[in-house]
Amino acid sequence: MKLFSLACSVNGHKVRREILSARSLLEFIREDLGLKGTKEGCGEGECGACMVLVDGLAVNACLMMAVQLHGRDLVTIEGIKGKAGGLHPLQKTFMAEGAVQCGFCTPGLIIASEALLRRKPKATLEDIKLELTGNLCRCTGYEKIISAVAKARGK
Amino acid sequence: MLPELPAARRYLAGGTDIVTADNAGVEPSRCWVDISALPELGAIKETARALFIGSCVKISKIEASAAVRKWCPALTAAIPHFASPSLRNMATLGGNAANGSPCADGACALIAEGAFIFLALKGSKRRLLLKDFFLGPKKTALKKDEVILGFEIPKRRHAGAYFKLGPRAYFGISKAAVAVTAEISGGVIRRAAVALGSVAPVPLLAVKTGAWLAGRALSPGSAALAAALVKTEVAPITDARSEAGYRREMCGVLLERALNSLT
Repeated sequence: MKLFSLACSVNGHKVRREILSARSLLEFIREDLGLKGTKEGCGEGECGACMVLVDGLAVNACLMMAVQLHGRDLVTIEGIKGKAGGLHPLQKTFMAEGAVQCGFCTPGLIIASEALLRRKPKATLEDIKLELTGNLCRCTGYEKIISAVAKARGK
Repeated sequence: MLPELPAARRYLAGGTDIVTADNAGVEPSRCWVDISALPELGAIKETARALFIGSCVKISKIEASAAVRKWCPALTAAIPHFASPSLRNMATLGGNAANGSPCADGACALIAEGAFIFLALKGSKRRLLLKDFFLGPKKTALKKDEVILGFEIPKRRHAGAYFKLGPRAYFGISKAAVAVTAEISGGVIRRAAVALGSVAPVPLLAVKTGAWLAGRALSPGSAALAAALVKTEVAPITDARSEAGYRREMCGVLLERALNSLT
């Protein structure tokens, strides 16, 4: 197995690690960096539990290779914060709306929602529903998630 | 060109097919050559006569392109049905074609757009009509180590549509899909192309239906007749996603809807 010297930014900090070239981004995040907020669900890009931001775009970490992160900027759920520290507006509205039950899908949903609101701060309900098509939640039935994202607009 | 690498090697673009297969333990190649960050493959270029979409341009970047919206209406209509938003940030048209799936939404739309695929091997380049690139399920015209450079779509003003039937409204692999392009003037179809996904061993150009539409008035009547004709051109199978008879029937329904949506 070949080692690759990976240099990237993780949640605002410069990181350099020797990694196996066969490492997926998800394995790098969970095993090498020890950031366990990013979850593995399906391993085939269907569920969105492993979603992270790379250069500001939401991607499925289970389908990206860690070497592809070289020179780029990664934000995981641990890097999602409010402007003055503390909870991010989406985290607050998810709590207030009861959009979390078992919580396994929540990091991915916060990441997908953050990607949408950065791109479209005035996203419509239809925009929100379409953006979250790649995130499966088996508990909530989605209504509370959609209303939580809607309430975070402009915050 | 790639002399020291294992024989079972493939190019890696967005990874959404190859890494999925690897995670499931069914990816045969153990060596992937990452081409996803090559700038030569990552641009959309416009010339006087054509639009060129590099093989490694992310689908979400194509979605944001005003030139693609202007010149590729069927591809534009297909993109919301291409996987999910996060997968569109990763996936590419090059990977979509190289994967060789009859269900490929991007490939089906590009065939209807009359696209050419550009290939390169050891400095020699070649160009094929995309419809001729697909040889069978998971089989393409790619030679060993040949790389897909991108896709050229001739600039012709036309209308286009993409109608897909999946297990749900968005984010599913199709049971059947129809891409249509048509040059229309004075209410008459001057030239048309109909391509179908998931209903033949390859993304299929329905040559007879396209030819029949040329010269016809754009009307519900001609749409219904074209729908009857297209059902004779497809070769669907029964598999985990749907059954042959239903797929054949839906090809007609989707084509009729697609034609009636054109203006």
